[in-house]
Amino acid sequence: MAATPVRSSSAAASTYLLVPIVLFFALLIVAVLRSESLVTANGLGSAVIVATPLILATYALMATTIAGRGTVDLAIGPLLGFINVTLVQLFGQDIISSPVAFFLYALGVGVAYQLFMGLIIVFVRVQPIIVSLSGYLALSGINLVILERPGGTAPDWMMPWGLGISIISPVTAILILATVAWLLFTRTAFYGHLRLMGSDERAAFTSGVRINLVRLGAHCISGLFAGLAALTYTSLISSGDPTQGTTYTLIAVTALVLGGASLAGGRGGVMGSLLGAVNIYLITYVLATFNFGAVQSFVTDLAYGTILVLSLLLTVVLPHMRGVVRSVSPLLFFVILSLVALGVIIHATYDYSAPAPAVATTAATAADTTAAAATTPATPPPSSPAPGFIFEQTGEAAAIAGGANLAGPLAVAGLLLLSVLIILRTMVAQAKTARSLSPLVYVVVAAFILLGVYVVANPETVSGLGISTTQSAP
Amino acid sequence: MTSSTQTALKWTGLAVAFIVAGIGLIFGFYQGLPAQQVILYTAATFALVAWAWRAFTSRWGDGAKAAVVVEGVDAEGNPAQSSAKAARRVFIRKNRPVIAGLILLLLVFGICSITITGFFSVLNIISLLVLVGLLIFSAFMSKFVVENRSAFIGLTVLVGLFVVGSLKVEGFIYPANIKSMLLFASFLGLACVGQTMVALLGGLDLSIPFIIGSANVALLYLIGLGVPPWLAVVIIVVIGIAIGLLNGFLSFRLQGQALILTLGVGFATSGITQIITSLGSRFAGNVFGAVPEWLTNLAAMNGRTFGLDFPPVILIWLVVAVLLIVGMKNTVYGRYLYALGGNRTSASRLSISERRYWVGAYAVSGAVSALTGCLLLGWSGGGFIGVGQPYLFMTLAAVVIGGTSLLGGAGGYGFTVIGVLVLQVLTSFLVGIGLDYQWQQFIFGLLILPMVALYARSPHIRTQV
Repeated sequence: MAATPVRSSSAAASTYLLVPIVLFFALLIVAVLRSESLVTANGLGSAVIVATPLILATYALMATTIAGRGTVDLAIGPLLGFINVTLVQLFGQDIISSPVAFFLYALGVGVAYQLFMGLIIVFVRVQPIIVSLSGYLALSGINLVILERPGGTAPDWMMPWGLGISIISPVTAILILATVAWLLFTRTAFYGHLRLMGSDERAAFTSGVRINLVRLGAHCISGLFAGLAALTYTSLISSGDPTQGTTYTLIAVTALVLGGASLAGGRGGVMGSLLGAVNIYLITYVLATFNFGAVQSFVTDLAYGTILVLSLLLTVVLPHMRGVVRSVSPLLFFVILSLVALGVIIHATYDYSAPAPAVATTAATAADTTAAAATTPATPPPSSPAPGFIFEQTGEAAAIAGGANLAGPLAVAGLLLLSVLIILRTMVAQAKTARSLSPLVYVVVAAFILLGVYVVANPETVSGLGISTTQSAP
Repeated sequence: MTSSTQTALKWTGLAVAFIVAGIGLIFGFYQGLPAQQVILYTAATFALVAWAWRAFTSRWGDGAKAAVVVEGVDAEGNPAQSSAKAARRVFIRKNRPVIAGLILLLLVFGICSITITGFFSVLNIISLLVLVGLLIFSAFMSKFVVENRSAFIGLTVLVGLFVVGSLKVEGFIYPANIKSMLLFASFLGLACVGQTMVALLGGLDLSIPFIIGSANVALLYLIGLGVPPWLAVVIIVVIGIAIGLLNGFLSFRLQGQALILTLGVGFATSGITQIITSLGSRFAGNVFGAVPEWLTNLAAMNGRTFGLDFPPVILIWLVVAVLLIVGMKNTVYGRYLYALGGNRTSASRLSISERRYWVGAYAVSGAVSALTGCLLLGWSGGGFIGVGQPYLFMTLAAVVIGGTSLLGGAGGYGFTVIGVLVLQVLTSFLVGIGLDYQWQQFIFGLLILPMVALYARSPHIRTQV
């Protein structure tokens, strides 16, 4: 009986993640349907390289925002720029060049700056947003003094970081380590003090929490994340750029809010920040697949603003839906949506065989009438834009390809349906007792994750399927 | 303590008199006046300041009679030396901020003298003396000006900047430069109207720069379509009000996060304006058209107001400022705005509608931002979506430097006017001494913290329990 309230409160505490989870999967499905290259080795590798600086910057913002008093570190962008341009300049002058020195310098500067700002907030007692505004202006100016225009080079050992041809890379390792470190940090009493201070500073003070030390600690953690973000940012652009401050500040704040964090303090986490930053990347990715031409960047601005406003409004509506939402665990919600998304990904991947029937049809048409050969280039486009789903292959293609190629999609569909049925049965069976997931669900989820990784890591299999289909056509 | 206090005041008066006389002396010799005249005027200035100081302190000394009695009782039982030592300790403790400021000022002056070639000069020494005098004066007067301390300090800084600027920059006080400063201050001042109203309620409006940029582009777009210019301005202002209302309605429930919601609305406004104005055009982001002459006259440097030789936008800002400063103090609307910013619960007990005032403040912000964008079109002569970007943080800085609290309930547009003027004079000064934009931004960032720390510190957490 004692375990039930804890689990219930835990589920309620994570309810704010529902909005970014829904947004994440909606964007992911649209992105995969628009362009299946996202779920290839190159696609995911590029995504990690591009998104990691934003993810880590959002982590840095999140650490200080939880501290409360409206702390929104507007200087996060210029701080990234400052570490970036100073690293490039110091490397250009051969002052530091080894990886250890790079890491120590980036983390040291990040922590030193945040500690300095924290001391001002704690002892001078100026409002945190004013301190961050001051830092924003000062760092923006000094960045341009240090490096007047984009230039300089990153060291050679950092070049492979930014290639983005594989998921496995130092940037991915940095991201995973940062995320795991924060998750471990949430197990400490310090984290509890931090959240209490963010929710109600006076209650924390009267409860005996040392709010000065807690705030300084939050700023140090933010500085560490900022240093890591600057390192991955330097590897991304392989040079120094003093003027990206405003861009990263606004996008990181947007990502933080999209992740469900409250700028008033006390609510936020690494999963929300991760989802928020990835959502920002997916927004850009999806819009890039449409051909808006000259107004591309304007549509991106419009999308940023609109999705941000809608996301904020959803966080207002959510408490009114608490009666319904309370019974939904974010983890279970994540599992179900991930199964749906995985189905869409497999569908998009297997549709590489769709052009084959068109080719066969075209060949048949050409054989019938020699005069129709002139219109052969115009025939494939009408049939290509309408690829069928797993069960919607044309009769000719099915007859030509035979049953062997149809077995794959059928097996996958059957497995999906079976998994959904098993999960539903588990939910119903355990509805009256403590609401927990069956180990079988974890096994199924792990199997699908492995299957997805296998499909992404082995493009030859997909190509092989396509080739075999093409060979069987003639 | 009577003798101790009087001794301290006497020495302070002598120091002030010495500084003022010293300034006169240096000025006299610098201008090559006859030595006899310089000595005569120096002595006269010293005597005059010393006498005025003594009369002033005597008058205020009467008000401290009650405290003197208590201190006198304590002083009777102590030896003379202990009394003198205690007096010195009390003096140091009471004036710790001033002493710290003096030390910091001398330290900065020393470092600049060592590192910058040619920095150690007569003009810079005079500037240092002026700053020292102003620091002592403001610290002393702060004890008596409690109600509007931030405004007082702001005005002191403004006077100090003006004096130092006129000393250091040739042509600083020429009519053309003053007109230029007032012109840019007018734009910033109008852009700050909305930020001030919203800040009084504890909110922030980050959509101001986006509305300014969108209004700038959209106005030229409408004029290009053939809409009469005056009707186009009306349409733009109405759309600005609509965007402000949208901001207010959406952010009312998200008060702690109004900052980020207005940013989102700003992004959307900027994006949709550029999409609309770019449809059918192969030049994305650019809008072409002829700016009407009366609009150019409103905001250009060579504009004339009823025949007088200054741009009408300065008069517009002056009228708006007077209306706001007087109105906020003397109308029900203004008083209720302060009440809501100060304490929501108390205001709701008085049946003040929180939603109506919140949405109204944002509507005013949207309207005045759109108007600012229209005026900027007259100044620049061309539509450009980025024309509002400098105001993203400048409006915030002006409101903060002026002394309006971002937590709501304190400050007002009068304080913002001081903040705007301080920022503008500082910008003009930095440009005058040859600093680039990046150095200006750096110095802005460094100056915001000390100025806010002077009078806008939050109370300690233990006093809020």
